[in-house]
Amino acid sequence: MGERARQMLPSVLSVLLALAVCWLAIAFTRDLDTATRAYLQMLWGGVGNWPAFLDGGSSTAVLRPLGEAAMKAALLTLTGLSVAVAFKVGLFNIGAQGQMIWGALAAALVGAHVSLPGALHVPLALAAAALAGAAWSSIAGILKLKRGVHEVISTIMLNWVAVSLVDNWLVIGPLRAVAEGASSITGTAEILPTAQLPRLLGDSSRLNLGFPLALVAALGVWAWLTRTRSGYETRAVGLTPEAARAAGIPTLGRAGGAMALAGALAGLAGAVLVLGTEGRYPGSLGAPYGFDGIAIALIGNNHPLGAALAAVVFGILRAGGTRMQLLGVHKSFPELIQGFALLFVAGRMVWLALLERRQKRAQAQGPAQAGVEVPRA
Amino acid sequence: MLEVLHSLLFSTLDAAPALVFAALGAMLSERAGVVSVGVEGMMRTGAFCAAVAALVMPTPLAVLVGMAAGAGIAAVHGFLSIRWRSDQVVSGMALNLVAMAGGTFLLESLYGPNGTPAITQLPRWNLPGLSHVPLLGALSGHAAPTYLAFALPVLFHLLLSRTPLGLRLRAVGDKPHAVATLGLSVPALRWGAVLGGGLMAGLGGAVLSTAVLDRFEQHTPAGLGFMALAAMVFGRWTPLGAFAAALFFAFGNALRIGLASSAPWLLDMIPQGFLLALPYLLTLLVLALQGQRGHAPAALGTPYEQESR
Repeated sequence: MGERARQMLPSVLSVLLALAVCWLAIAFTRDLDTATRAYLQMLWGGVGNWPAFLDGGSSTAVLRPLGEAAMKAALLTLTGLSVAVAFKVGLFNIGAQGQMIWGALAAALVGAHVSLPGALHVPLALAAAALAGAAWSSIAGILKLKRGVHEVISTIMLNWVAVSLVDNWLVIGPLRAVAEGASSITGTAEILPTAQLPRLLGDSSRLNLGFPLALVAALGVWAWLTRTRSGYETRAVGLTPEAARAAGIPTLGRAGGAMALAGALAGLAGAVLVLGTEGRYPGSLGAPYGFDGIAIALIGNNHPLGAALAAVVFGILRAGGTRMQLLGVHKSFPELIQGFALLFVAGRMVWLALLERRQKRAQAQGPAQAGVEVPRA
Repeated sequence: MLEVLHSLLFSTLDAAPALVFAALGAMLSERAGVVSVGVEGMMRTGAFCAAVAALVMPTPLAVLVGMAAGAGIAAVHGFLSIRWRSDQVVSGMALNLVAMAGGTFLLESLYGPNGTPAITQLPRWNLPGLSHVPLLGALSGHAAPTYLAFALPVLFHLLLSRTPLGLRLRAVGDKPHAVATLGLSVPALRWGAVLGGGLMAGLGGAVLSTAVLDRFEQHTPAGLGFMALAAMVFGRWTPLGAFAAALFFAFGNALRIGLASSAPWLLDMIPQGFLLALPYLLTLLVLALQGQRGHAPAALGTPYEQESR
């Protein structure tokens, strides 16, 4: 077994075990048949209803689910990257949700109130969102570096502050859309058509530029971490701060930079949500994508590409989850799978011990090693 | 004016116990060196199990079931972080996610989306002689947890500062190797603190569904666990500090709700979202001013390995 495969194995096994446990949960609360049909619905809802497509030839049956899955995967990839980047420097970013909120708000404001041609409008809105997210995460970064305030506490606090200020004040107060006609609108003004992320599969699917953008971001973060000097230094700071400092690496600068980048990525997630699907900052951001990012990053073993892969898997499950409602299974069921998967990933050491024992039994003596990169929070 | 103050105090004392218990539980675990971000999940599990148990048994007994459930979740945390030396924040966040989604799933499949059926609330006690005194009267008419929330912080304070066990618990969070040198078991002490913390967090959750409300709802505890965590940090990892911070947060919340109903004109001047954000902003400000190094237990978050020095 190659080194890379051994790194991935605990995550893969965790996801499979989580799927099995949750299948049993439906089987116990309902019955076996429902559990099986629910999982089939989830699969068709996530990767496309191929039987219906091959039967009737309606391409919507395939394109729509794929688009939904890609849309969810884009958001999960970006928040997952956000958490993973902070992890690389040894910081636990629980604040992706708050950073995403400010990013979404910035994108919504630039999208609605700046008029520019499309080629400039989208990049400007994305940049504004990234900056807003970076600014918000930098508060936690500065508090950590200057005052020693633990980032777990400060990012949790900043999440609440963001929700309170944006959802409970700005969006329903000063920034609320002016209602036109009789319909009352929740959220901010609608973004201009020039700010919308282009749809990639026409109107039959909500798949938009956000998904390729997220993949490019994942590749970019991976390339930065593995191919550039500052990325290498960032990882060095995360692994052993003392040694990094002794080697002359500006540890504070690298840590602050990673935290800012984490916020920028979460801010981009907010922009993709607003510019790609919502069209405005909605009454509230809804699903806690920021918290999902924690699960995605860890299931992806803190590797940028691993996070993207985990995001695609759970994007598929999420998109399919809405179809389980047809069978009366709650639509948040995929989140349960995700929670269990993270719990089993948290037991990575247990997996490694089990695998090691297997390996030892297979070959009388082998250089079994637990080559994991677990950052200290 | 006096009436407004009275009702503010009354609702603060009604809401505070859940926060106080959870904060004490988190503190117990963290003083022994085990990070406790899972306290929200423990509260949720405790609240759910207490509400379900109260459907078939007397409510006070159901509260004990809720406590046991909190300890059950804490046991998973202990297994992963003490036995297997997993990252403690990861394990805690995982438990939060499982409790969040699992609670939703079980609630929907057993009782429907609107929450469990109504249960008998914990009885409220009227303190004779106090009920008619102005302001002090707000102390009367609460359920037992409110009075317990005043007693337990003092008890915890005495336990931590005056008993050998307390000394060992604090030492295991600061210098586990020194404790091991004395021939004491680091894992056993940490297990005790984590399970005790789970009991307290479970109690905090159970209070929500049996005294504050009369059922378990989808959004219980709605972030109170994270707020308890903030109260603990705010209170510098001490029982009395955590108690005071929890009271302050509960008062802030009561103030916001009270203002919305009694002085709507004030909300025209200060946006409600800003009032909502105030406790968190204040926490951040205090943390920024005092700095946090030196208050957190030194070995917090570090898995204990016999060999490492």
